[in-house]
Parts: sequence; structure tokens; C-alpha cells
Amino acid sequence: MAATEPKHVAYYKGCLASLSAKELDISTQALAPKLGLELDELESVTCCGAGDIHEAEPDYYLHLNARILAYAEQTGSDTLMTICNVCTLNLRQANWQLKNDDELRARVSANLETVGAPPYEGTVEVKHLLWLIAEGDGYEQLKTVAHKGLKGLKIAPFYGCQILRPSKILGFEDPDKPWSLEAIIEACGGEPVDYPAKIKCCGFPIIQAREETALGELIQPIEQASEAGADAIVTPCPLCHLSLDAWQSKLKKSTGKDFAMPILHLSQLIGVAAGLEESELKFKRHVVSVEPMVEKLEA
Amino acid sequence: MDVALKIWRYNPQRGERELREYEVDAPDWACLLDVLDLIKDKHDGTLAYRKSCRMMICGSCGMRMDGRAILACKEPMKPIVEAGHVPTIAPMGNLPVVKDLVVDMEPFWGKVRAMKPWLDPGYDEVPEKERIVSQQQVNAIHKEALCIMCGCCVSECNSMESDPEFLGPAALAKGFRFVGDVRDQADISRLNEYNQEHGIWDCTRCYFCNERCPKGVDPRDAIAKLGAESIKQKVDHDMGAKHAKWFVTSAKTTGWLRETELVPKTQGTFSALKEIGFALNLAKRGKVPPPFPPHVAKDVKEARALHDLVRTQGREGAAGIVQGEKALSMIEHVLEADPDHAAASRIDPQQSGGKSGGD
Repeated sequence: MAATEPKHVAYYKGCLASLSAKELDISTQALAPKLGLELDELESVTCCGAGDIHEAEPDYYLHLNARILAYAEQTGSDTLMTICNVCTLNLRQANWQLKNDDELRARVSANLETVGAPPYEGTVEVKHLLWLIAEGDGYEQLKTVAHKGLKGLKIAPFYGCQILRPSKILGFEDPDKPWSLEAIIEACGGEPVDYPAKIKCCGFPIIQAREETALGELIQPIEQASEAGADAIVTPCPLCHLSLDAWQSKLKKSTGKDFAMPILHLSQLIGVAAGLEESELKFKRHVVSVEPMVEKLEA
Repeated sequence: MDVALKIWRYNPQRGERELREYEVDAPDWACLLDVLDLIKDKHDGTLAYRKSCRMMICGSCGMRMDGRAILACKEPMKPIVEAGHVPTIAPMGNLPVVKDLVVDMEPFWGKVRAMKPWLDPGYDEVPEKERIVSQQQVNAIHKEALCIMCGCCVSECNSMESDPEFLGPAALAKGFRFVGDVRDQADISRLNEYNQEHGIWDCTRCYFCNERCPKGVDPRDAIAKLGAESIKQKVDHDMGAKHAKWFVTSAKTTGWLRETELVPKTQGTFSALKEIGFALNLAKRGKVPPPFPPHVAKDVKEARALHDLVRTQGREGAAGIVQGEKALSMIEHVLEADPDHAAASRIDPQQSGGKSGGD
């Protein structure tokens, strides 16, 4: 990708990458130029609502997301890049609604203009970083970027929900047989590990209101990836990351098992293979240590 | 065409489970249900499965093909045969297996019954005048009314797998079919019931239900509509509702999520304090961003003004959820044409008769 003209994309990092998952933003910004992506970070934007505003005040959800899309449109790029499953679904859902209904878009745009924001013309496509890498000839070019490789590492892909379902809104790949993470793991020189829970829920949306139910979901990918011999799990979503990484200690309490399964953001996994430094990867911000995986790679 | 299938057989007498392979000659137009009929007629009369209408309306033939819940009568076999694929057929998930592909639907029906799936018009005696409901008002519950109760959504519900008592997508979609019905007068008591422990806030938003529903009901969207109606009607005591409301507060004050305050705002300060050890462990890793100074978005005044503005436009609650597909334009139509009778507004039972129908 770096060989050709860089692709200029509007970049929406979302809440978590600005807060508890800063390492996601830092590693994405460090990696992007190597992947031929020129990130135009949006500043005048807010939270997408994370599905919660959609459920609490849905009309406000639609307007907040339309405002993000409108500011993305102002950058002149046709692509809004996300790095979070939940942002991806919320923005794509709003975009789908606004693009398919001129009257709705006219009302929302008029409201945006009333409060001093730009109107939305409906020209932007929302794409997750994962898709931007996996589509086209990204796979071949990733092989060059990932010069250091992931040799000898077994990596378990964890997609999470809201980058796959509902497919009528997301639609990048078959939600039951996704391939993009596996392709990237292979292009980076690692060995993808297969397990049934890779397309299931991490439990994060209800981890505060229904912790027990959420932990019953969370244990599946961790246990299955562990049994399949994975050295780490990689995920394209910072909410899945927080759930799998930070709440893993609670599984120890309920099951007596210490899985010690390192959880990597997508940008960190490619970053390791591309030889990024710790200052760009920020593994020290993880709750479960990534050291065993790094040591195995160095050995 | 020659069709090959693998079927998970289950013998309840012996408690044995076995994956058995079948090959049959079937016509090109055969769907999975036709192939099962052929197997039962010509090869193995002991195979058990449910069927009735053969045309996607009775909801009897829900089962799994390669792990996906489907209606056997809706799956054409030709593309599968042409791809050289041998699919695996299994009973639906999240329900006890009775025999082979037949599951016990009683837990499913129990949850549907718990929704009180009948109209409560708020009067005992039939009014003198006919009550007319406009097409637009029917549209507000159109998608939920399409449910054929096949159980495909329940089969893959991730929350139910973890909490078998969760009411689940089919029952809750049925619940919205009544909460969103302008003739029904029991919406507050319904919302209070659906807000209980295993109710709407148990949904983990995995979206398997929307993905699997063969009729386009989109049960997850119906659950969101129930959430929106609950918050609109101030039935917001559940931690899930408080969690959702905190995102609104965050967006209209700082623009970004006020992440560290989310836990005490959801669980209450006392409960949050019990988690202090867990929180300190996260804090060491920078996972508990300090709430002060707040992380404020640029031009956040626009987001604040938008909040005040959209509240005046009559799309609070479920009416604010864009339906999608064909229903979308119809829903917008009702609000434009008839702002006094927005989709979610109630009919006053005292004013029975044609006038209250929203025309």
C-alpha cells in the first residue's frame, strides 16, 4: 500500500481509544503511514452513542451520528475510518438510514445547520480499519509491511458482534464464515487458530448491568482459544478488548482457572509484525501481560 | 440432483447422539424440507422433525444448517449441491432436544405467555362506535407483527445461552407488538414487567436475532424500541437503563463518554465501591481515565443544542427508531402527515369511536 499514493481518510477514533484504550489510537496512528493511510482526524465530533443512545433517545442518536458523518464529508474524503466495532455499526446504521431516505436526511441536515454544524449530503462510506487492510490488494502489501513477522505464533481471531451483524448494515464478509482477520494473521506470518466462539459476543454491552450473564459469554472465546493453543487473541474492537483483557481476572475468581491470555488490538498485532516499538504499541497499558507472546516471538 | 446431508440424530430412549450421513435423489427445486421428507419416506422412517405449511408461515421447521438457525422450507438445496457442499443439519439451540431435529418449545411458549400477548384496550364493555386505527399506526408495529414464532432468533441468542431465563428476542418482539399498539392501554405495566431482571436489559446486542430471523422482524430493534419507550415513560430504574442514559448525559455535556463515572452512574456509588480492588488494578494500567479535567469535544455546544432541538420534534421513544426497508418510508409518512397522532401516541379510551383512530 505504501508504494502508491497514500489514501486520505477521515479518522474517527471514538471514545475508548481516547480514554481507557489509548494504546489503540497510538498504535493505529503509528501504523497508518506504513499501510498507506493518511489519517485526517475529526475533532468536532462526539460519541456515537455506543448503541446506548440509540436505545435511550434514538432520534438524538441519529443526529449525533449524522453530525459525525457530516464532519467526515467536510474533509473531502469519501471514507470515514473507524477502529471500533460499535462505532462502525452505529455510524453505518445511521448512514444507511440517511442515504436511503432523502426526506429523513433533509430533516436531519436542516437540524444540523440550525445548530451550526454542516449538513450531510450522504457521500461518505464508513469502513473499519480491518476492512481497509483486508480489501483489494492489501493482503499482498501487508506482507511487505509486516517484515518482522509473527513466526511461530498461534493467533486466535476474535471478531466480536458488531463488525459482522447485522450483515445488511455491515456486509463486508459472510457473518458466519468471516475471513479477514485470518487473512491478516497469515499475511503477518502468524498461524490463525479456529474456534467456534470467534464470531460470538464478548458480553461487554451488559458487563456493568448484568455481569454474571456477560461473564458467561466472555469465558467462551478465552477458554476455546486457550484450548486451541493460542498465544494471543486479536480483536478489531476496543470494547471486546476491554472485556477480554480487563475482565479476564474475574474468570479466575469464578472458574479457578488463570488463562493469562494476552489480548491484542488489530493495530498492535500488525504493529508487532511491522516492528513497531513499545512506545508505539503500549503493551504496558494491558491488564493481562503480553510478555509471554513477545518472548516467544523473539526466541 | 444428488443431495448429501449429515444429520445429528438423537435417541431419547438411549440418550445417544450420532451424526449420520444420507444421500438422496431430489428434484432441482427441492428445499431442505423436501429433502428431509424424501429421507423419511424412502430411507429412514425414524427421522423426526417438525413441519406443517411448507411455505414459511407456520414457523414449525426451524432447525440448524451448518450452525445457522433456518427454516427448512426456505433453504433451496441446488446452490449447496452445486458447490459440492455437504451441510450438517442439527436441532435449534437454546431449547431442549426431544428427538433428532425436534426441540421442546415449551420454554419458548412460556416466555411468550409471560409477555401477556393479548390486547388490553382498557375497557370491559364494547364501545358504541367502532374504533378505527390508521394504517400509519399499524405500521409502527408492522415488523414485530410479522413474527411466526419459529424460534430461529432464540436458537442463537448469546444472552440466553448464558442466562436461560432471559425472556429473549421472540418474546420481547411480541412485547413491543403490544406496547407499540395504539389500542393497548397497559403499556406502563407491560414496560415495568419487561424491565425486570431477565428482561430487556439482559440483551447483549449480539444481533444474532436480526441476522437469523427469516421474516425480517429484527427482534434486537424491537428490544431497543422497548428500551426507548421505557426511558421515555420514566420506567428507568434498571441498571441497563441508567447505563444507557449516562451516554446521553455524556454526549450533551462533554460530547465524549464520561467513562470513569459510568460505573457509579450505572450501579450506584455503593455497589461501585465494592469493586474498588478491581478498579484499582485497572487504574494501574491507565484503564480508569481521571474524570477531571473532563475530556471535552470541540464544538460540543452543537451536540448540546441538537439535544434540545430534537426533543421538540415529537420523535421520542420508539418513534425515533428508523425501521428500515419498506417500513421506513411509511413510518416517516405518518409523522409528516399526522404529527398529532405520531406512531407511539396513545388513544384515549374515553374517546372511543372513529375519531380516536388517528385519521
